[in-house]
Amino acid sequence: MGKTITLNHITKIEGHAKLELGIDKGKVKTCKLSAVEGSRYFEGLVRGRKYYEAHEMTSRICGVCSCAHVIAAISAIENALGYNPTEQTKTLRVLMTLGERIRSHATHLYFLALPDYVGYESALAMAPKYKPQLKNALNLMKVGNAVIKTLAARDLHPVSATIGGWLKLPTQQQVDEMRVQLESIRKDAREACKLFSSLKYPDFESKGEWFSLVDEKEYAVLDGKFSSKDNSFEKSEYRKFISEYHELYSSANFVVRENHRYTVGALSRLNNSHKQLSVNAKKMLKESGLKLPSYNPYHNVIAQAIDMMHSLDHAIEICKNLKIVPEEVQKIQPRSGTGVGAVEVPRGTLWHEYTLDDLGTITNANIITPTAQNLLNMQEDIREFVPSVLKKKKEDIIMDIEKLIRSYDPCFSCSAHFLEVKWV
Amino acid sequence: MSKKNTSAKSEKLNVGVYGITGCAGCQLSLIFNEDEILDVVNLVNLKAFPFIKEVNIDEQFDCVILEGLVADKGDLETVKKLRKNTKMLVSLGACACTGCVPAYRHFTLKENYEHLLYKKMEEIEDVDPTPIDEHVQVDYYIPGCPPDKKEIITFIKSVAKGIVPRPYQSPVCVECRRNGNTCLLDSGKPCLGPITTGGCDSVCINGGFECWGCRGPTKDMNLDLMIKMLRDRGFDDKFIQDRMRTFVGLKLPMLEKVMKPGEKPDKLQTQFYGEKIYYG
Repeated sequence: MGKTITLNHITKIEGHAKLELGIDKGKVKTCKLSAVEGSRYFEGLVRGRKYYEAHEMTSRICGVCSCAHVIAAISAIENALGYNPTEQTKTLRVLMTLGERIRSHATHLYFLALPDYVGYESALAMAPKYKPQLKNALNLMKVGNAVIKTLAARDLHPVSATIGGWLKLPTQQQVDEMRVQLESIRKDAREACKLFSSLKYPDFESKGEWFSLVDEKEYAVLDGKFSSKDNSFEKSEYRKFISEYHELYSSANFVVRENHRYTVGALSRLNNSHKQLSVNAKKMLKESGLKLPSYNPYHNVIAQAIDMMHSLDHAIEICKNLKIVPEEVQKIQPRSGTGVGAVEVPRGTLWHEYTLDDLGTITNANIITPTAQNLLNMQEDIREFVPSVLKKKKEDIIMDIEKLIRSYDPCFSCSAHFLEVKWV
Repeated sequence: MSKKNTSAKSEKLNVGVYGITGCAGCQLSLIFNEDEILDVVNLVNLKAFPFIKEVNIDEQFDCVILEGLVADKGDLETVKKLRKNTKMLVSLGACACTGCVPAYRHFTLKENYEHLLYKKMEEIEDVDPTPIDEHVQVDYYIPGCPPDKKEIITFIKSVAKGIVPRPYQSPVCVECRRNGNTCLLDSGKPCLGPITTGGCDSVCINGGFECWGCRGPTKDMNLDLMIKMLRDRGFDDKFIQDRMRTFVGLKLPMLEKVMKPGEKPDKLQTQFYGEKIYYG
């Protein structure tokens, strides 16, 4: 007899997703993972708008990674205009991206992922017993948010970063205060690494290819080539390698690299660039017992904790060396062209591409989010993982599947979720 | 493994926090009240918050706080169901209040986005992107993209105590001046502060960025004067319309008429918000 598992509304993820699984004689016959939320067509909405308006609009794609969309959009437009930002501007953009990694990872680790591993339905329900751990999370979130707010006025949908520079620079005093705040959460980041290293993760190996930006200079943030163990290409060539397709059952596109599934995110970054981690993050990696490269997607949770430790150290290093100099926003003459921006954001590599006409009006846009790139790999992981746990109780199978989906920290972009399980 | 759910049943107000199509930023803004969130959720009986809770009971609410706009058939069903199941419905954030950037689709050419359309299953078929009050009655609005995070938590605290939230109608300029900012209109920037409802502490202008109007028009806005100020600064009509419509286009149905030479519509006031706009 065959059976079907349908997870209609998967909770504790950003967005609205659905899984349909059909099993017959111990084999997975169908496996469809889909985003089932309303389409918003951002790439269409920015057409006809000015080059300096795109980042304010595309920021609204995602709340938790709004900095990511702002920076990716600005980088792509500047690339199209042939403009290279100043060192100070680049540094501030890196700092903002790191602040976002800290708050995003802390939110995902403790509020979305952890409850599964300690047997609670939510972080709120854990509160009475896990107060110190949640305090770690809230400290990390608070300082991550404070960094973004200091640099860009708002912690969600930040506004001070712009084409050609920074609308309002932080003062030197603010930078120094930021450093003190960041240093105050080192212990929280260490606790996070210890906690997530101590959890027990299911055994599984994904067949996807692990991609991230790899930068010779440092653990990548804004620069680098898009690389895996075996492949590497320049950002500007992305259309030659990456393609998108859609399915009737999903409102998010699937993305492949020359017809191969691949994955992006913290574990990809660790697999590809762990040698460039900060001293503290390397120490935490060693203590975690995590062997790299790891192809187990469940380990993305530990990887996020270590990535967070590194991001914190990197941010502190920047604040130590940053001497703010007054700089006006550069006026850039519009011109026609196409530009690509890619940024290592909390969930992986985010791509923005814009084409402008002579007057600086946007004529085309393409945006590929980390979750879109991970979607096929997540689906195929589930297909390959499920046969190994079919002997388990049904709620345990579902738990393992949900943990797998959540370990990718997917961002389906918001909706009502209500877990409904159909088991025939 | 059975899941522990420690939220106690009591005489507290039954509250649900939901999101439909949107960016989750408003729900995150609630959570990002890092010093207060764990205590504030205990002031109410939080029956549902699917973004961070697995066990959600979606009926018999006193208050539902809803983020997002209606963009597909599933959203529409959710909105109708939640309205039926709650005494008070609160639109949280620009998508819920005005449709935000996704509803700007009404004002862009079809050729701009038709290449992105494709056939989907019936349940995720598109509907016109619209704010919640186009479909059901909304009792309170917490505007902004996103709202100030303190506003959201203050709202919950007030409701928990049975206090009726008070309306706020002053334009962004009031707080902006109080914050000592240089007027961006004076430096030639297309700032919509004069016609936009404040309560945001003029946060964007504090950061050097002009107001795009995300909190919606004030009840007594002078749209004519705003348009004149922008034209005087060299912005063409297409730019002015696009900018004003980015966040709140559906709440400015009179815009086209106002911008036509010689046209004078009788009523400029928006019906939007009424007295129920909330500011903490």
